[in-house]
Amino acid sequence: MLRIKLIPYEKLKRGNYSDLLKDLKEGTIIIVDAKLTPSEEADLIEETMKIISDRFSGIELSSLELTELKDTTRMDRFRNLIIEMILGKRRGLTIIGPAKIIRKIEKNPEELLLYM
Amino acid sequence: MVLRHLRRIKNKFASVVRRIFRKKKDVRIGLYGPVNSGKTTLANRICMDWLGEELGKVSVIPHETREIQIKERVTVRDNGKSLTFNLVDTPGIATKIDFEDFVKFGVKRKDAKQRAKEATRGVIEAIKWLDNMDMVLVVIDSTKNPISQVNITILGNLDARNTPLLIVSNKIDLKKSDTTRIRNAFPGYEVIGVSAKTGAMMNEFYKMLLKKL
Repeated sequence: MLRIKLIPYEKLKRGNYSDLLKDLKEGTIIIVDAKLTPSEEADLIEETMKIISDRFSGIELSSLELTELKDTTRMDRFRNLIIEMILGKRRGLTIIGPAKIIRKIEKNPEELLLYM
Repeated sequence: MVLRHLRRIKNKFASVVRRIFRKKKDVRIGLYGPVNSGKTTLANRICMDWLGEELGKVSVIPHETREIQIKERVTVRDNGKSLTFNLVDTPGIATKIDFEDFVKFGVKRKDAKQRAKEATRGVIEAIKWLDNMDMVLVVIDSTKNPISQVNITILGNLDARNTPLLIVSNKIDLKKSDTTRIRNAFPGYEVIGVSAKTGAMMNEFYKMLLKKL
């Protein structure tokens, strides 16, 4: 049975990926309600590499940033910046899945397509 | 949020301090990119052109480069200008490493598992070395879709560190090569198409490299 878990960004904010990786190892697909920063993505890749084994070959991940979706005006960008400062996260979403389940994620600026 | 900002400030500060105190002769140029994009082939081409010797072994089997390899004091010259740097070839960055992929290339299972283990360490090393670069050549296979998470993560991390970079669209000798697709995927970055294998466009590449640093 396919398991998908939606988790708030706040759970990853302090760089604690152990619960997330435990879920991924058990075959759960994770959706985070924000776009990870590049340094968070790099940290997650590093942590993933540490637990790769014969049974767990790694992850597929991809993010969508909502502010990237349209040619926003300066006013829109300023408004988005204020919203991000208040929320403390980048508006968007991140999908992370075990590589054994998600074979590929195709991204174009507006969509994510998962191949399973 | 606060932690993220502190980290970003720390990275920028460290990068500025590094550039101030490092002697010109110690300039480090790193080769980064996904697995099998041709980083070592490009490193070999640069080293052959200017030193007359290769840097590392290349292979069609993924993750051939599993350790950081450095060639010191490479001097590139063009029109009276010159630049001496240490060239750092890094293992390909990946989000997954499956030993079965190596078995498909005829590697014995035991060796494939060992190769996978070494490859995971290589990815970690490559990420850690991002902090030590004065400039990075992001090598992308121009026959493949450039909008991959690995490319996005590498570019994002270099931007966050304010590290100068040049995107190298490699394998332009192949029929499916499409450098325009890379330019469209990453507007705002300088992109040069080369074939590290045949040497096509390498003179233009060296001119751009000298302009960047």
